Amino acid sequence: MSKQMVVSVKFLGMQRLITDTDSLEMPINGNTKVQDALDYVRQRYPDLPLEEGMALITVNHEVATKDRVLKDGDTISFLPLIAGG
Amino acid sequence: MKIIHQIEYKPARVVGGYTDRILRLDLTKPEITIQKLPPDFKSKYIGGRGYALKLIWDGTTRETHFDSPDNILVMSSGPLGNEPAFPGTGKFIVGTISPLTDTFIDSNIGGHFGPILKRSGFDALAVTGISKKNVVILIDSDGGTIAIASAPGYDEETDDGALSYGEKLITEFNGGEINDSLAAVTAGKGALSARFGIVNSLFFDVRRKRLRSKQAGRGGTGTVMRCKGLSAIVARSNLTKVNANNAVDKEGVRQAGAKLKAVVSKCDTQQLNLSTWGTTGLVEYMDKFHLFPINNYQYGQSPESPKIFADVFLDKYLDKKTPDGCYYGCNLACAKGAENVKLTRGPKAGEAVNVDGPEYETIGAVSSMGIFDPQFVMEYNWYCDEYGLDTISTGVSISFFMECVQRDFLTAADIGYELTFGNMEAANRVLHEIANGQGFGTIAGQGVARGKKWVAERYAVRNGKSQEDVMAELNKFGMEVKGLEYSMYITKESLAQQGGYGFALKGPQHDEAWLIFIDQVHKEIPSLEDKANALKWFPLIRTWFNATGLCKLPWIDVRNPEAASTPEPSKNVPTLEYYVAYLNATTGSHKTLQDILDDSERLYILQKLINLRHGKGTRASDQIPWRAIGPAYFNEYEARAEYYDEWLQQELAGNKMPETAQERHKLLMEKRIKTYQHLCDIVYEKKGFTSDGIPKPETVEKFGLMDRQARQLLGQLYK
Repeated sequence: MSKQMVVSVKFLGMQRLITDTDSLEMPINGNTKVQDALDYVRQRYPDLPLEEGMALITVNHEVATKDRVLKDGDTISFLPLIAGG
Repeated sequence: MKIIHQIEYKPARVVGGYTDRILRLDLTKPEITIQKLPPDFKSKYIGGRGYALKLIWDGTTRETHFDSPDNILVMSSGPLGNEPAFPGTGKFIVGTISPLTDTFIDSNIGGHFGPILKRSGFDALAVTGISKKNVVILIDSDGGTIAIASAPGYDEETDDGALSYGEKLITEFNGGEINDSLAAVTAGKGALSARFGIVNSLFFDVRRKRLRSKQAGRGGTGTVMRCKGLSAIVARSNLTKVNANNAVDKEGVRQAGAKLKAVVSKCDTQQLNLSTWGTTGLVEYMDKFHLFPINNYQYGQSPESPKIFADVFLDKYLDKKTPDGCYYGCNLACAKGAENVKLTRGPKAGEAVNVDGPEYETIGAVSSMGIFDPQFVMEYNWYCDEYGLDTISTGVSISFFMECVQRDFLTAADIGYELTFGNMEAANRVLHEIANGQGFGTIAGQGVARGKKWVAERYAVRNGKSQEDVMAELNKFGMEVKGLEYSMYITKESLAQQGGYGFALKGPQHDEAWLIFIDQVHKEIPSLEDKANALKWFPLIRTWFNATGLCKLPWIDVRNPEAASTPEPSKNVPTLEYYVAYLNATTGSHKTLQDILDDSERLYILQKLINLRHGKGTRASDQIPWRAIGPAYFNEYEARAEYYDEWLQQELAGNKMPETAQERHKLLMEKRIKTYQHLCDIVYEKKGFTSDGIPKPETVEKFGLMDRQARQLLGQLYK
């Protein structure tokens, strides 16, 4: 039996306080996209502010589009748009 | 208070954001004069940094040093400061010739002093001369007097402290009561002992019902203030804060402010959440991306970092309920603070104090010393403010000496004790020695650039090596450019930000450009050309904020959702349009965003000319430490070997990778050093400079800056 593929969603800053955890594992199949991960997180944590245009989605520390297909072991983060004080 | 010299005056009315007056004080004579500005002065130099640059360009020479009587200490807000209808209008600039860089430095600072100075009738004040005895300046616009008075003495402890002294002085000046009609700037005893003294801006917070402080931290402005024998300046005005700029179009100001406040209100809590955490929240993000300085910027991430993440400060220290704006009307309100923090170290151990901070930079300065203790951060923050020391330069200087010990350039015998990374007691000891001008503090208080020379001399003699060779090694990890210590971001993986720090005219402070995320994470500026364009655009727009009396954070740290559909989202142009509207409504101008950038470029070129005059303006002065470019030492490479090997593999584009890790490290550094030089070439061309970083004559003429001094200076440089 093959091992279930999973990706990890990391919660940083205020997200960590709202979710009360610093990460979440999500099972994926060969067609799971970033948008699916976003929906998955929104469903579990409806209080998490993830409105359009408010956060930058990264996969493995690089900006990702919502139609990107996820691979086993990917790490997803929703970052604020940091531009330096 | 014993008045030494006093004049009576009638405060000029603020019209369209300006009073068209500069208050000039000569502490040597002593003399107080009010200079009326010609009409074209404001159109050419805007305010804030622009006024400081012009006064210093005209009023000082190549021979002017930080402690020369003719050095000028300028404080100036700008046409858009002093307006509660718009967020972030409490900023003012402190500009002077720096003890660290020996050229122009300015630092922006929040609080009420800039607005009150303007309501007192002045767009700027400029202090020259040196008083033999400590004095204070008292600007009482309500009473119509300006005075230079002997600095009153209270007790030794109070007199030495920037915060304590300011509180006593304001209380005495105002007949025993503190309220928000007054504000002060002060510098503590540490500012006289070290080259990186700060100016504190003290203001009364009606919500917390106490005096609070913000700091002009960079470049030693407080040191200049104390060298002039100036302990404090107090200003008082009871004029209304509402529409205090007498804007040409009051409704236009209201509308622009309402739009920006709506964006801040909607977006901040979903983005960086500065209104709750201040800038402490950045620690976690920087750590995640290897940008958080650990052990003198050797590493960008540590398993110990979570001990100093924002939620720790929020739980233990910060007041969660109080909106903390440093000026009225700012709903970003990021100036966080903590009440009754009990000190456990230093001369005031056992006392409870109110701490204004910590900011991200202060936490980064502490992690750079290898320390991850939140209580240490709070105490370090408070002592630096009270002594009048820059938390950044203090921490980076101490970190540099710690690394000198790590790499055997110094021994415990050189310092007098074991100064090693993570050693809290030793770090604490150096801090107090710097402030008191004692022991090893007399060396550490000179900063990294002078510290390198001190270490090189000792090490060279002891080991029979040439000082040049030792300096070459120290230049790899001594984190300074132009004499200013780096602010607290690691640039190894962002070529654009290597330039952001290297080209910054004042030295490596991120208020000219912070491009790390758009370069390293967003990948918005992939080519050298893209990076060079960003390195021209961002310093210009950021210069404008420093010239107008505005805080940048509501623009740069709160992304307007509408920006997502613009060609370059990171510029946040939809929000900048509110600023343009605010400018035009205040002053009656009809400027576009491009006009604003052109205005800023004039100031940028003028600052470049001052740097050239003081020997800090050519390509040689834009060179950065190896550590800012990549893993300067093998231990840094080893810590992320897989990442660096992947980077090198891509660079080699199919060519054979060197076999040993040492060879790969060497090749990686060679490639990066070469690339930085390419960046220099392209950036200089974009900015209208020669390949040596000198503005071309046509660039200077384009902005109407080719006066007799500029002609002479460029003539010498082009010989």
